[in-house]
Amino acid sequence: MTTNGGFEPVFCTVVPPHVLDKLARHDDPALSGPARRTLMRDSELRGRRRVTAEFGLAAAPAAKAPSDQPLRTVYDAGHKTDLPGRKVRAEGAAPGKDATVNRAYAGLGATFDLYLKAYQRHSIDGDGLPLDASVHYDEKYNNAFWNGEQMVFGDGDGEIFLDFTIPIDVIGHELTHGVTQHTANLTYYGQPGALNESMSDVFGSLIKQYTLGQTAAEADWLIGAGLLAPSVTGKALRSMKEPGTAYDDDVLGKDPQPATMDDYVRTGRDNGGVHINSGIPNHAFYLVASALGGHAWEKAGQIWYDVLTGGELSSQALFNDFAKLTVAAAKARFNEGEELQAVQKAWEQVGVRIL
Amino acid sequence: MRIQVRRTGGFAGIERHAEVDTSGRPDAQEWHALAERALASGRGTPPLGVPDGFSYQITVDGKTVYAADPRLTDEQRELISRVLKEGA
Repeated sequence: MTTNGGFEPVFCTVVPPHVLDKLARHDDPALSGPARRTLMRDSELRGRRRVTAEFGLAAAPAAKAPSDQPLRTVYDAGHKTDLPGRKVRAEGAAPGKDATVNRAYAGLGATFDLYLKAYQRHSIDGDGLPLDASVHYDEKYNNAFWNGEQMVFGDGDGEIFLDFTIPIDVIGHELTHGVTQHTANLTYYGQPGALNESMSDVFGSLIKQYTLGQTAAEADWLIGAGLLAPSVTGKALRSMKEPGTAYDDDVLGKDPQPATMDDYVRTGRDNGGVHINSGIPNHAFYLVASALGGHAWEKAGQIWYDVLTGGELSSQALFNDFAKLTVAAAKARFNEGEELQAVQKAWEQVGVRIL
Repeated sequence: MRIQVRRTGGFAGIERHAEVDTSGRPDAQEWHALAERALASGRGTPPLGVPDGFSYQITVDGKTVYAADPRLTDEQRELISRVLKEGA
């Protein structure tokens, strides 16, 4: 049997709420039980986030302040699927010969740095969570993911994808799924799922920009640049600047992302198009960052971070719910200035109405 | 026996599909045994995966089961990887 490192999936991130509601009413307790528990947990988390945000209380009083240093451990899965695998680099150890291990270690550090220095967040959970990553997962594995507890990276097959530790924004993207899991916990389906994906692209890109010291004008706004094998016709997996233009290839097909609501894709596939319609909030973020100029993590990123972690964003939020909260966050953080105007204009440009 | 695999999700969000028809193949018996074991451990409804994890749909002669990373059985993993590699 394949082991999974003791990981139990976070059910509430994946099942659409209407399905949960239906399941919770089911006659079979095997179906209704878990659904009811998930709904309870979901509402409890939301309540706790609201109390935390409104009264400025910590959800749980911390015994001591978390460290300003990351606590990283990289494991080698040895091309198998048992997690985490053999420990190959601990925090503070010198780089080894395996470039994949070194890139994973550096990427975990860069992600920790952006969240701490730009947003005073201590690691993924805001409480110093140790950062674990397993590399060389499975054979020629064309993916990377956050399993709820740790990072998992495949080597790619070399024909379509190269090593998934190559683009630092991919590492930041996956770790941001952990941040979302610990904050707004956006349901991984439909519009909340596309927002979940977009959060990961936004902060993944910001981690790259922060590492390179780039301004919004200098950044490439690509997700997964350097990941596609040389034979593939494309520059990356997604473009926040020009959604739908990242690749157009015989084998991969064409980048399906829309930039505006006019081209919103209705589909049941890909969890209701989470990797497709994320192009719309991605582009809105790009527009805000470009209008404001300078370092995108300072203003646009701050507004987005405030919404993701502020306690008001529902796990079932739609694009216009999110947009409305960014307007409120821009006002709260920067008053009635150019930031507010940039946010309002960006949502208007991508066709998301703020009600 | 007709064995189809559809893989969705993943960081790239790119779907893949392949199928193997075992009729006339010298290794048909091996495929049948593997497919039956993979089906036996599959689920009738899509399981809850993780963000960016692959989801799989395995259809054998019209009967479909679902599975998702990182919780595949060894048989499911082997069948999926063989169909995606050798199938058309």
